Formats: sequence, structure tokens, C-alpha cells
Amino acid sequence: MTGLPLRHRVRGWVDDLLRGQAHGHTSPRALVMILVFCGSGYGLVMGSFGGNPWQMGYSAVKVPMLLAVTFVVSLPPFFVLNTLLGLRGDFRQVLRALVAAQAGLTIILLSLAPYTMLWYASSAHYSAAVAFNSLMFGTASLTSQLLLIRYYRPLIARNPNHRLMLRTWILIYAFVGIQTGWMARPFIGSPRHPAVFLRADQWTNAWVVVSRLFRNLLAGS
Amino acid sequence: MIRRAFGDLDRVLRGEKTQLKDLRDGTVDVSFPGLTSVVAILGAVSGLCMGVFALFRDPPVWQQTLASAVKVPLLFLLTLIITFPSLYVFNALVGSRLRLVALSRLLIASLGVTVSVTAAFGTIIAFFSVSTTSYPFMVLLNVAVFAVAGLLGLHFLLQTLHRITTLNQPETTDPDNPASQMPPEPAGEAQPKDQATRAFAPGPLEPLNGLVLAGHVKAVFRCWIIVFALVGAQMSWVLRPFIGSPNSPFAWFRERKSNFFEAVMNAMGNLF
Repeated sequence: MTGLPLRHRVRGWVDDLLRGQAHGHTSPRALVMILVFCGSGYGLVMGSFGGNPWQMGYSAVKVPMLLAVTFVVSLPPFFVLNTLLGLRGDFRQVLRALVAAQAGLTIILLSLAPYTMLWYASSAHYSAAVAFNSLMFGTASLTSQLLLIRYYRPLIARNPNHRLMLRTWILIYAFVGIQTGWMARPFIGSPRHPAVFLRADQWTNAWVVVSRLFRNLLAGS
Repeated sequence: MIRRAFGDLDRVLRGEKTQLKDLRDGTVDVSFPGLTSVVAILGAVSGLCMGVFALFRDPPVWQQTLASAVKVPLLFLLTLIITFPSLYVFNALVGSRLRLVALSRLLIASLGVTVSVTAAFGTIIAFFSVSTTSYPFMVLLNVAVFAVAGLLGLHFLLQTLHRITTLNQPETTDPDNPASQMPPEPAGEAQPKDQATRAFAPGPLEPLNGLVLAGHVKAVFRCWIIVFALVGAQMSWVLRPFIGSPNSPFAWFRERKSNFFEAVMNAMGNLF
């Protein structure tokens, strides 16, 4: 594989990864490269709504950063919980599965980028663009969970406690990831506002906002 | 000593100190002073992460961060000091073979599990401290993390106690389960009856089938766990503040009023 041209090797990595075969063939460095490249690619598309190249650049940086920060913050408690359940010996494989699933998420996102471009070409409504991107991220996240489950299958077969840890990872990652995504706004960039790397009001809490929305919904306001 | 103690803690977390073959002497083989130091260090790390919230106030209150780093280890150790004597006495009264040294090692090992979890969740606490200004949210998040850590530590305590006392007790049966009996002398890694299908050593939190703890010893520890949780919760209220309300100036301790449970309910109300 190392003698082949880079594009053939990359194609091999992507194919192996999507088929749940990244364990033996794809190096960790390759997984990280895929994550950065594909994440940035979707970020570029995401930020193109207003036609501002600065916003495109910011989003290209922020999408892989969002995934990396969420991963790094969520990992220490996950490691300790795995240790407590007697799963420390498998942690290398667990880590590889998690990184592979993250890389898979970005590949799926990039594959959905043409739909985003078409949406932007069809509609100038900012809130519709936000909703559409949320749909794309949601689709990619759900699909990457299937990929993660595929990578976890041999681990679960070896020790059923991995099933509990897989669910725990999804919970922790979602809890942290939603806040990270909220903090790192804007990704799309409203055409009515200048491009900024981070909003001035970034120090709010996504979960507090959601809980208040929920309360207002229940109160009928 | 500290390095060895961290090694001990690592082996405790992996379950390598609590396999049945390692508990034959009726004690967890850890150094009490060493592990106490590790608990203090990891508690300080947890406190530092909690106190990050105060660094992002305007102006930053670094004294709160320092105070939290001091108070979190105090919280755990004082709660242990308060509840330990009664546990030892009642444990001895009901005839448990767990002596003073063995009991103290078991308790410090379970505290080690608790502070390992709080320190590990420190990244998430610090992250939210940096990224949010909502004080009620931070209060509830810290309460949730400490509750989870406490549950895991106490679960470790019960499982290890179970293993120690059933290895060292005379034959006894659980009145709720007449079919129970003492396991035969364990051969090497004592394993539950599904050993044929089990290719991995059990972790420190896993129950081992076929081991039964005497009812009265179980009752003493269950009561103690409830007392420990209540004392810990109220001790955290006495030692407050740990996070530092943006509406109050820094103080090492607040005036005596209200209680932990009322404060949590108020935080939930303010959040929603």
C-alpha cells in the first residue's frame, strides 16, 4: 500500500474506514489527516452561505477544531470509567475505534456538502440554511454512530462491558459537543453581519438555552 | 512514596488489587499514608477545575480557585474522619472480621476511586467553567459529577467488602437466599461459575457470582453509605463556596444558613 500514489492510498483509507476495516490498515496519522481534511472541506462549504471568504476560512478551521476539542475534553473521564470496568487493556483499540468514527463522520459530512451547496444556491434564507446544516450534521452524526457500533462489535464480543461504555461515550460526547458547537458559532455566517471567528455572546450555555426554550414551550409562550 | 501510591491507585482502578487471590489476607494491599496523599493531590486537581469558574469573573477571583483546591480534599477527608469511627465500632459490634487497618485501607481505596473520577471529569468541569456564565448550571453540573463519583466509589467499597469478608468469614448463609453458600477455596483467580465463557479478569466494580455477604455486615455498610452521602453533602455546604457565586465577594466560608438540599433545589429552579 505504501508504494501506491497518495490518491490511491487515500482512497484505500477512506474505503477501509467506511467499511469498518480501519483497524489493521489505516494508521492513526491517516485517520487524523482525513478528519482535518474532510472537516475543513465541509467547513468551507458551510461558511460559503454569505459569500464571505473570511467566514469560509473561519468555518474550515472551526469544524475540525470543534471535533478535536470535544474529543479531548470527553476522553479523560471515559478513560477512567473504562479502567473501572476492567477495560483498560482494550483502550488502544477503543481509541482507534473512536478516532475512526470521528474521521468517518467528516467523510460523511463532506459527501453531503454538495447538497448544502445546492441548498445555498436555492435559498437565501439564513434560518433555513441553519436548519439545513443542522440536518446534515444530524444525518452524519447518526450514520457515524453506526460506524462506531461496527468498530465496537469485536470489543463487545470480547467483553460485554464495552456496550455500556459505548453508550456512555455517546452521552458524554453529545453533552460536551453541543456546548462546544454553541460556543464556536458562527459557522454559516449571516450575510447581515460581518464575518467573525467567535460571537461576542459566546459565553452562554447551550443547555441553559435549550432548557429555557423547553420551559417556554411547555408554558405555551 | 507518592509515585508508588499512584501506582497503587492505578492497580486499584484496574481491579488488580481486588481480585480474590489478592484479598486473602483480609485487606487491600495499599499504603494508607501514600494513598491519602494521592487522594489529597487528586482532590486538589478537582478543586482547581471547579475553581476555574471564578477565574473568568470580572475581575478574576484567583483566591476562589486556590480555596477550592484546598477545600475539596478537605471535604473528602473530613467526611471520612467524621464517619469512620462509627463505622469501625458498628462493624466490630456485628462481628465483622475487618479490623481497623483493613477497614481504613478499604475506605481510602474507595476514596481513591471517587477522587479519580472527579479529577477525570475535571476537564469537562473546566470546559464548562470557561464556556458558560451560568452559575446555577455549574452548581448542578458539579453536584452531578460528585454524585456519580461518589456512587462509583461506594460501589467499589461494597464490592471489595463483599469479596474480603466472604473470604474471611466462617460459613454462613444469606437468609434471603437459602441456596447460597461459601465458595470453595479459590484456585488462583477465583472466578464465577461462568468461567468457561469469561476470558477476562473482573474489574473492581464487578460483582462476583456465588459470594454472599452476611446480612448484618451488609446492613451496617448500607447504613454507613447513606450516612456518608448525607454527611458529605452537608460538609460540602459547610465548606462552601467551591465555585464562587458571581453575585458575592470572595470569602473562605459563608455564613451558616440553609442546607445543601435546599440549595440544589434553588439552583434547579434558577436554571429553568
